[in-house]
Amino acid sequence: MEEAVRPHAGQADRGLAGANDTEVVRACVQGAPEAFQELLSRYRKSALSLAYQMLGNSEDAEDVAQEAFVKVFQSLRGFRGQAAFSTWLYRIVANLCLGRIRSRRPCAPLDEAVAPAVQEVSCGGVAETLVTRQVLARMEPRLRAVLLLREQGELSYQEIAAALGLPVGTVRSRLSKARITFREIWTEFLEGREKEQ
Amino acid sequence: MTCRLYENELSAYLDGELPATRKARLEAHLRVCPHCQGELQELSGISHYIRAASQELRVSQDFDQRVLRAVTSYQVVARVMHRRRSLVRPLIAVAIVLLALLGMVQHFLLDRPTQPLPQPSAAGAVVSPPAPAPMAPPPRR
Repeated sequence: MEEAVRPHAGQADRGLAGANDTEVVRACVQGAPEAFQELLSRYRKSALSLAYQMLGNSEDAEDVAQEAFVKVFQSLRGFRGQAAFSTWLYRIVANLCLGRIRSRRPCAPLDEAVAPAVQEVSCGGVAETLVTRQVLARMEPRLRAVLLLREQGELSYQEIAAALGLPVGTVRSRLSKARITFREIWTEFLEGREKEQ
Repeated sequence: MTCRLYENELSAYLDGELPATRKARLEAHLRVCPHCQGELQELSGISHYIRAASQELRVSQDFDQRVLRAVTSYQVVARVMHRRRSLVRPLIAVAIVLLALLGMVQHFLLDRPTQPLPQPSAAGAVVSPPAPAPMAPPPRR
């Protein structure tokens, strides 16, 4: 049992490191013990990051990412490689996040890291990251989802449409609205900061 | 077309998802409109912020272990379910055979008629019900 998902990679792992995703998935389906670990190491961070940006809470994000990887494992035999593995994974993550958001109470608390005190925000990369997370957290989930799938997941409009079950035209208009909303909230946030100073 | 209408196309333009004719029209407008140029620049900055934010995420050290544990327990459950499924069909078949045997036993041994059937007297004769037994005379005092 343990050997099927053993975290310690063996000799074959060196071969898997150079393989593309479809080859790794095939190896996983054929029972190569280290193949799933390879997928995990390739996509752990991006799946977690997408979930975190969607949910604004690290604990929930880890739960969702874990659930997504288990779902992936369960359905690996059905993966035909028609879409990229990453597209498939992000689709699962995004839909799990949207489901979780729908079942949440309206004003779930944000992580402290996501909701920084305004006075703590200064210029620089870390501050920009904090403001970005705060802005994303204030956006409507449906807008946040398309924006993150595009900017972070680097999915095409067609792929986002398939992932979220939307027409491509809706993805296009929603993405435009998402970017405009992001910029508006960002501006409001910075203006609020200037007033407090 | 006003700037407002072009603004709605900037997002798709940034993503390279604008059809060729609209793209050419937008690019022609961008060459002469500093306002839309500024809009385009601001919108393209969003991508940078989001990608940068996603890079700074901390991952729990035991995340992989937890995923692998969950996957392992899924495998255990799947195998148990598979074994159960593989046992269920033979058990159902055995149960059906046993029920059929029981039915046959009941038919041949337990459901035998208590009275013999009347024998036909001759071919084509109408079978009449058996004559009632003569009544016994009342006891004398």
